[in-house]
Amino acid sequence: MKDILTIRGLSKSYHKIRAIQNLNLTISEGQAYGILGPNGSGKTTTLSIVTGIIHQDEGSFSWFEKKPEASRRKHIGSLIETPHFYPYLNLEKNLRIICDIKGIAYGDIARVLETARLYERRRSRFSTLSLGMKQRLGIAAALLGDPRVLVLDEPTNGLDPEGIAEVRELVIEQVAMGKTLILASHILNEVEKICSNVAILKKGELLASGPVKELLAEEEIIEISCDDNAALKTLLEKSTLTKAIELENGLLVVTLNDRVTPAEINAFAFSNKRVIHHILSRKRSLESQFLELVKEE
Amino acid sequence: MRKLLHIEQIKLLNYNPFRITLGIYFVAFALGLLIYPAVDKEIPVISLSDLFRFPNVWLFLTWVTEPYNALLAMIIIMITTKEFNDHTFKTQVAFGLSRTDLLLQKLILIVVLALFATLLLGVTSLTLGLIYSYKLTFKIAMENAWVLGYYMISSFAYMSAGLLIALLIRHTALSLLTFLAMRVFVDPVLFLLLRNHEAKWYLPFRTITRLTPPPDLIEIFQRKMNSGEPLDETTLNILPKGLPAWLNLTMVIIYIAIYFFFIHKLIQRRRLT
Repeated sequence: MKDILTIRGLSKSYHKIRAIQNLNLTISEGQAYGILGPNGSGKTTTLSIVTGIIHQDEGSFSWFEKKPEASRRKHIGSLIETPHFYPYLNLEKNLRIICDIKGIAYGDIARVLETARLYERRRSRFSTLSLGMKQRLGIAAALLGDPRVLVLDEPTNGLDPEGIAEVRELVIEQVAMGKTLILASHILNEVEKICSNVAILKKGELLASGPVKELLAEEEIIEISCDDNAALKTLLEKSTLTKAIELENGLLVVTLNDRVTPAEINAFAFSNKRVIHHILSRKRSLESQFLELVKEE
Repeated sequence: MRKLLHIEQIKLLNYNPFRITLGIYFVAFALGLLIYPAVDKEIPVISLSDLFRFPNVWLFLTWVTEPYNALLAMIIIMITTKEFNDHTFKTQVAFGLSRTDLLLQKLILIVVLALFATLLLGVTSLTLGLIYSYKLTFKIAMENAWVLGYYMISSFAYMSAGLLIALLIRHTALSLLTFLAMRVFVDPVLFLLLRNHEAKWYLPFRTITRLTPPPDLIEIFQRKMNSGEPLDETTLNILPKGLPAWLNLTMVIIYIAIYFFFIHKLIQRRRLT
């Protein structure tokens, strides 16, 4: 699979603050790649560098396995932070400027405005749009010319729940069409729903990267209790059914191995003459795993 | 190039402050055409219409309208700082323009505005010359028309200085104030402080204003007093102050080169966010 974006040893500081440190990433064609991290983790700085808006202090990157010349960005649709257009121009004229930059026909403007549900407002000035509409225009601009790659930085910022759902659906459609997506977000649920791969950043450093299913896989956790929790704990630890067992407030909190069900735990305890009188499924949320990854060490 | 020009066209023709400032520039020229002849009737000895005659009309109008170039520089400052304030440079770069394209956009705009200003001055001078001249031959009419070239360089230099100030400061009001302070206060004060030194002629705005120096108005007064006749179609002297014309022109070109050196550096290095 062809590499779309390769980042090698990228670093950037703002005075004394290290925004990103020695970042390495490779994003391949067709991937929906999430860059996940809390605010200030370096997501926007990374995307600003690869879209030419700011310069890195160290390191390098390449687009489409070639030098990152400005012309390469014509094949990329990007939305970095909030969309910025000419406030006194109407939507159509703003998009004409993007068409001129990309060297594409104005005919595509109607299509992207319709996709973003802004066609009726095409003659409105950009300054008259609501935050959500501005965000949708940013996405419409990114879709102009049907680019191979979409780079979206917090695309659902400022949108109401309905708007968030629409944008996510729109992005998922683009991914389904085979486009490569690079999505920066601090919302775990968004990355989980849209992306196939993820890189987790914290304070500018890459904490982990890999397929979403592996990195942020849901684990089944149950809490159980019987007459002799200590004995049951010993039994379970010797078995191959569990990953971890902790004693919490008189309950055993058990992380199950893959494909092990609570019923099997119950049957195992019963076969070892331990009667479980309390059993409750406590699925560990993705959010708690994410927080665990990025928590202060 | 055409693409960049078209992008600037979309941006500017819809931008009210640009249209208004350009309108003021137009009105200033038009008022000149109406007011000078009206004032003329009130002045008994010197007739301004003498100055509207070929070949002196070229020298007189380039000198009189030279300060109008400050308006063009202010246009450049307004639109450049607005691009920073609205973060639209960022959008254009993210969609595929290079930073050199951003510079070229503004360079093209400066060239177009300088051409426009020169054309407007040329047409105005030609019209007044045709109206007021007694003797009309091609040689007399075109004798001083070369000064239009200097006027264009003057416009270009003003706007280049404006662009540099806009990129350095990025704030509209502060940039405009700095530009006006440089033109109206700093340069003249330095000129006064250096009055006993040749260096005063090398000041940036002084060299620009000396591209289109004033005609010797005292000479007109004396000629009129002596003969009482209307001024004939002989060329007036240009006040012999400052550097030789070739050196002055060279200095302006050097200053423009210095401005663009720093403009290029700033555009390449500035954060566009």
